[in-house]
Amino acid sequence: MEKALALLSWLAPYAGSCLVLLLHRAGWKAKSAAAILSILVSALASTQAALYVASTGRELHVSTTWVGALSANVSVLFDGLSSLMALVVSWLSFLIAVYSYEYMRGEVGETRYWFFFTFFVGSMMLLVLSDNLVTMLVGWEGTGLASYALIGHWFTDEEERWVGDPGRRALGVPMWFEPSHSGLRALVFTRLGDVGMVVGIATLHTVVGTTLLSEISSGAWAGRLLAAGVLPAFLWLLFLGAMAKSAQVPFHEWLVTAMTGPTSVSALIHAATMVKAGVYFLLRFAPILVAAAAAAAGAAGVISDFLSSLALIGALTAFMMATMALVSRELKLILAFSTASQLGYMFLGVAAGTLAGGAVAGLAAGFSHLLSHAVFKAALFLAAGAVIHAVHSRFVDDMGGLARDMRLTALAFLLAGLSLAGIPPFAGYWTKDEIVHVAAEAGLLLPTLLAVVTAGLTACYTARVFSRVFLGEGHGHAHEPGPAMLLPYLALGLASAALGAAWPLLSQGLEGLLHHTLGAEEGGAALAHAAHHVPGAVEATLLLAVTLFLATLYAYGWAGVRPYAAVSRSPLLSRLHSFLYDRWLLNSVYYRVVVGGFRSLSSALSRYVDTGLVDRLYHRAIPLAFQGAVRAVSRYLEATWDRLLHVNLVSAFASLWRAFRGLQTGKAPHYIALLWAGAALLLLIVLLGWLPW
Amino acid sequence: MSGVPYLWLSLLVPLAAAVLSLLPRLGKRALALLNSLSLAVSALLLLAAYALHGIKGVWLDPLRFSMGGLGTFALAIDPMVFLVAFSIAATTAAIALYSEPYMEHRFEELAHEGARAPGWRAYYFLYTLFALAMIGTVMSTNIIEFYVFLELTLIPSFLLIAFYGYGDRVRIAIMYLLWTHVGALLFLIGALAVGFQRGFDFISPQGAFLRGLGEGAPAYAFALMILGLSVKLAALGVHMWLPYAHAEAPTPVSALLSPNLIGLGAAMMFRIVYVLFPSTFTAASPALMAWALATIIYGGLMALSQTDFKRLLAYSSISQMGYLLLGLASVSAYGVAGTFLHYLVHAFGKAVLFGVAGVLIATYHGLRDVTRMGGLAEKMPYTASLALLGFMHITGIPPTAGIWSEYMILRGAVERSLSLGPGWYIGVAAALLVGVGLSTAYAFLTMRRIFYGPLRVEGAREAQARLWGPLLLLAALGVASFVIASPLIDPTVEVVRSVIGG
Repeated sequence: MEKALALLSWLAPYAGSCLVLLLHRAGWKAKSAAAILSILVSALASTQAALYVASTGRELHVSTTWVGALSANVSVLFDGLSSLMALVVSWLSFLIAVYSYEYMRGEVGETRYWFFFTFFVGSMMLLVLSDNLVTMLVGWEGTGLASYALIGHWFTDEEERWVGDPGRRALGVPMWFEPSHSGLRALVFTRLGDVGMVVGIATLHTVVGTTLLSEISSGAWAGRLLAAGVLPAFLWLLFLGAMAKSAQVPFHEWLVTAMTGPTSVSALIHAATMVKAGVYFLLRFAPILVAAAAAAAGAAGVISDFLSSLALIGALTAFMMATMALVSRELKLILAFSTASQLGYMFLGVAAGTLAGGAVAGLAAGFSHLLSHAVFKAALFLAAGAVIHAVHSRFVDDMGGLARDMRLTALAFLLAGLSLAGIPPFAGYWTKDEIVHVAAEAGLLLPTLLAVVTAGLTACYTARVFSRVFLGEGHGHAHEPGPAMLLPYLALGLASAALGAAWPLLSQGLEGLLHHTLGAEEGGAALAHAAHHVPGAVEATLLLAVTLFLATLYAYGWAGVRPYAAVSRSPLLSRLHSFLYDRWLLNSVYYRVVVGGFRSLSSALSRYVDTGLVDRLYHRAIPLAFQGAVRAVSRYLEATWDRLLHVNLVSAFASLWRAFRGLQTGKAPHYIALLWAGAALLLLIVLLGWLPW
Repeated sequence: MSGVPYLWLSLLVPLAAAVLSLLPRLGKRALALLNSLSLAVSALLLLAAYALHGIKGVWLDPLRFSMGGLGTFALAIDPMVFLVAFSIAATTAAIALYSEPYMEHRFEELAHEGARAPGWRAYYFLYTLFALAMIGTVMSTNIIEFYVFLELTLIPSFLLIAFYGYGDRVRIAIMYLLWTHVGALLFLIGALAVGFQRGFDFISPQGAFLRGLGEGAPAYAFALMILGLSVKLAALGVHMWLPYAHAEAPTPVSALLSPNLIGLGAAMMFRIVYVLFPSTFTAASPALMAWALATIIYGGLMALSQTDFKRLLAYSSISQMGYLLLGLASVSAYGVAGTFLHYLVHAFGKAVLFGVAGVLIATYHGLRDVTRMGGLAEKMPYTASLALLGFMHITGIPPTAGIWSEYMILRGAVERSLSLGPGWYIGVAAALLVGVGLSTAYAFLTMRRIFYGPLRVEGAREAQARLWGPLLLLAALGVASFVIASPLIDPTVEVVRSVIGG
């Protein structure tokens, strides 16, 4: 019974959604209270369950059947990974919900906001805690729906809600995005990946006969899929959903424009829910992939190749997004690029860690960075929300010198920013260091190189954004927000610092808990990988991060450098700037090639096939053919027959009748002669024996 | 308790209401309530029959008629039938209520055009007759009985379009009658070829599927039956009649035609054609699978370029029928069960969506062009929420049962394609990526064009509750089917598995 309370971890936010709907006529306070409390209940239930797992070292599993045929259970499975994840998600969501109370007060769509907010948290908790893949999918799709609704919260599309520069075009494609457009993009992009994921889950269901994680974790399915010749395709399909949700290249575009949502929603999406779902899915499967590699001869090669490719995609994402963050002019957009970049690090961490040191190493590298990122990114976004509220602009050009009026906000932003930049001893330093370390250990040369360079770029753009917003010349007067907004991000900023200070101790405990993850207990061995350790990566990372951070901070904050003029003078630099500013032109290419391609295909098919061919065949050609046939039949058959019956036959009778009439002369001798002739004829016939007598 | 003829009652109650509707005294309100109630009773009777008997397997109504050489005319219920019949009864009950305010508006329009259409009593008589004939179609156990019910669906729906439709309604009604009749006749020719040799029952009077009865009959019989039902289903290539009929029918009738009537083609393709020709069907399944995927993609592409909301929904129905066909073509327990579940999901979802189209037509004097809409969510929160729920049904997003049916159909397709080899596996996955992507794109693009952005409709206001209330009921049923999924899914998978064998 006590264990059943753990179900509240995802049930409570959903109950909160229903409650908010019921309270739709009530005021802001009542709705907010219902939503915030329901998330608090979830957080408390998760904490209790996580404490149970930590203290006993056993997993907490509650499960009753929902749909037997799909092995979908109403369940929670708290093991090492999911306990930690549930804590991160629920507590961060709680803090963001508290922040929302002040931030969203007086905005339109109160019920809608809280309904989808709690629905979002519930879905995320469901997907984290499911013991089977089908309910995980339900939660997964639930987060997709909630993100769609919240990104497009301001669906009336006023200009102040847009993302991007109104009027700017790249390759003829508009580079500004309305909320309703961004919501659509988020849903379509992520659902494309989800199709692959559903196919992957269905494949596992077909091969294993169930969708229970505990059955799948043995990895025995790898042999059958390898024999069927579909193992590589299967792996890519299964993780397509994770890649799309976690905004890995080439699916990163949706995340960038998701900034049209309220800032609290951005924080929720980036720190606690949604984008972390993809990383979580990868973490969940890391031990299973290790088990699968051991389960069948030949599978190990395929799986380590797959992980290497994933590591490269992660590193590439990290690098590309960091270059875009360098030039962006919108505060939230810089943070969004940085999220995508850090997600790339997480993918790299899980993949390289698993390759280099087995399941637990992968879990530790990936999850640690997920944790530290969640804390500092939530702080950054929430602080950014306060800044945008204060200056009424989303562009950093309109900001500056805010540290004077918003001391605590600046402090929180700086603490979180130092963590993002990877400056020791902040949390981000330790976790990024670990990722670079495992990447080097696994001998992945290009990903390691990209990761090191990206660390430098990260320090650069973090220092840039901090100094552009908080240092230098001021732009008018601003003031700190109220405590409901300030306290959550201040707490998160301080937590980010505390986490860093305690990390050397904490990481041991984390790793210990992650040992209790499904499938991780058995196989700790590294995947067979002929690794050549890449030397010097960790040292280079630290050096780059610290020097570039300080240099940039000095340049922007004290020396007052503004490179815009220099960039616009040099044709090469301005071209490079536009290339980065227009997001490597990928957005334009998507619109021109994919969207445009389907649009023209659709209208061409509609014009030439549906109206041109199908309609013309069935409603022109076939009726015309019938009409022709009818005309031919009526002319040649019907008309001839008609003449035969109504002309020829009638006139034959008429001539017969005329002939008879010719006989009727009315003169007696003629009749007598005819009588005689008739009698003679009869007699002749009788005599000849023609008539039987 | 097994002596109660629930299934015949579920037909006779609406029939009585239809006949009563012809009485001269009844006003439109009374007519709406009477017919809606009778169909709701029918739904409850089906629910009772399912809960008491059908959930375990095929149950035959105690009342049955031996027709000599034509076999036995009985009515059967099992989980597959329940999903179909119940969703028809529930949809028609709700849409009967919706019809009242909608047709009020339509009659005014018709009078304005100077057309003299038969009045309320004729409308409800034909409406309920159409509904009960559809329910009868899926419960039939005999090919001739099935054909009789099928014809009975055609005549009232033809008249409903011809009397109350839009545009060139008489011509379109004739087109509809002609093509679906051609389909029915093709089916009949094939069925007679089997029937005269082997008998017309496809479920024995003992309640067993006569599996493999038709094997050995001439091959053209199988092909004709598939082709005939595909015309009804409006699969790619034989979908020519659907965009016209569904777009120009009076909206409540579109809401019945689109999900209910055409889906019967898929339901009966399994219950008759698969049962009679299991091994021929399995052999043809790769071709059917390719056809289904092509239908999904083609319907989605067509929907993407439509600007008339009802026509867009009509093409979306073609695409959705592709999913039904895909489930059948997988010849696996999950895929086929998914098809039947998706029938229910699509019935609720598409009825809601056509309902929303009707709400817009009735509120804004015939507004159907999505390029002239925009920003309506602000003024019409209920209608917008309903449209979102409707699109969630057909794209498979929880908390609607769409996610279950979509998963099950994909599960079936994966199982089948895995057994066909890596090329099929990758090809099917790629086609699904495109198909589902297109469905999501046209659904939510339409949401955006109609409901989001700056307000572009003058005098925008929420519609009266009499219009959206019944639709809310249907959407709620779709959500309830998501939560209470086990009694819908588990027995269906079980029964389909026993029919397929393995």
